[in-house]
Amino acid sequence: MALLLELDNVSVHYQKIAAVRGITIGVGEGEIVTLIGANGAGKTTTLRAISGLERPSAGEIRLRGQRINGMAPERIAELGIAHVPEGRRVFPYMTVRENLEMGAFLRKSGTELRNDYEDVFTRFPRLKEREKQLAGTLSGGEQQMLAMGRALMSKPKVILMDEPSLGLSPIMCREIARIIRRLHEEGRTIVLVEQNARLALALAQKAYVMETGRIALEGPAAELRENDEVQRTYLGITTAS
Amino acid sequence: MDSATLIQTLLNSVVASSIYALVAVGLALAFGVMKMANFAHGEFFMVGAYCVYVLYGLLGLPFPLAVVLAVPIVALLGLLTERFIFRPTRRNVLAGFMATAGLAFVLQVAAGRIWGVGIAKGVPTPYAGTAEIGDANLGWQRLIIIPCAFAMLLALRYFLYRTKFGKALRACAQDPEIAALQGIRINRMTALAMALAGASAGLAGALMAPILPVTPYIGHGVVLIAFIVVIVGGMASIEGAIIAAVLLGFIHTFVTTLADNLIATMVGVVFMAVTLILRPKGIMGRERA
Repeated sequence: MALLLELDNVSVHYQKIAAVRGITIGVGEGEIVTLIGANGAGKTTTLRAISGLERPSAGEIRLRGQRINGMAPERIAELGIAHVPEGRRVFPYMTVRENLEMGAFLRKSGTELRNDYEDVFTRFPRLKEREKQLAGTLSGGEQQMLAMGRALMSKPKVILMDEPSLGLSPIMCREIARIIRRLHEEGRTIVLVEQNARLALALAQKAYVMETGRIALEGPAAELRENDEVQRTYLGITTAS
Repeated sequence: MDSATLIQTLLNSVVASSIYALVAVGLALAFGVMKMANFAHGEFFMVGAYCVYVLYGLLGLPFPLAVVLAVPIVALLGLLTERFIFRPTRRNVLAGFMATAGLAFVLQVAAGRIWGVGIAKGVPTPYAGTAEIGDANLGWQRLIIIPCAFAMLLALRYFLYRTKFGKALRACAQDPEIAALQGIRINRMTALAMALAGASAGLAGALMAPILPVTPYIGHGVVLIAFIVVIVGGMASIEGAIIAAVLLGFIHTFVTTLADNLIATMVGVVFMAVTLILRPKGIMGRERA
């Protein structure tokens, strides 16, 4: 399978401190690839580097073979990478509708765009109900849906999702999982960062385990689920020995 | 206070509120997007007044045309301020502060060098008559400020809430990083905010040119009031700035009529202090537009 998104030996430094140290990741078209790992392992930094919010200090990031690192975030957005950021970060003093409009900022108005609003509203009926409400007044789960809807409005080739389940109730987590699974069935490409490793490994086809800025383990998600170390460290399963 | 004075004072309050609102809205908008205060904002007002002095007073263009021309001229000044002061100092608030304070002096001295410092420039009154409202008389020159300011503020509101770029500007003020992720170019938005700030302050200065003595230093008093208005209103909030402008316009005008100018300024500052004690983030207490 040809890779849609590739990270080739990418490092990111904050001043002198390395947050990401030479990681190589491949994301195939239509795949869900997950990065799991503890807090501070460099998962969020990796996503921020892909969408241009951080500049890699070394290595190369390619989208369909085209080098994108060093480009401004607005340019990378134009090329088709949408980022659902950690903490959702909807525009709090704009309505639900306006938030979606911002997601579609680069697109031309027309039938296709109108259909996409309809698509987001069918996918997230809650957002339709709250179309005119200020985004800052939504619940955490609704804000997560809005952040996802905003990303979908840009008609992305790759969606980066940073901790979509963070701070949500178990019911809302299941709802988010259902939404991600459906996006996968539609053939969308997703890079999923999660602390909830159980959820992430259930959704993804391929997984990378990050530890202090490096890839510690990688492989098909189904295999990593059975891996002893992953079970001990990230899934909280203790095997009798 | 008899009814004539009351009506007169009420109308004067509305005029003052309109000017305060025009000047303060631009300051709040620029602060919202850049998180930096423009200390040369009063000089935008001053340049607007000089535009009318030159175009109408010296060159003899019609007054309305002079006012309309002042708007893009000062907007351009705002644009240049963004490009050459705010953009290079974006990561350093102190440098931005020093640079805009410096720009204020540069513009004052430039105006003084070109048109002289000593005597205030009198701009002939284009609309000399007065309107009789009840028992009160109010000069047309002051009254026309009200519809002009309203039109500008409504246009600004329409732009910010109804157009794609206006919404993008608000998005930028609320979360610039996330706005960039949507494909919005931050530099364009800060430039736009500064152009709008220049346009509205320039309009205020242009409208006041026949009423105030035009000197290189008229920006001083105006920007002081604008800062009070913006702080009371809640820093980056457009609505807050307008509400605070109206409150302060009425307070200043009424206290000036009943007592004097100096006491009015004092009462205004006390009003700001009390507001901040009761609502530390201002009337529309939030940090983003």
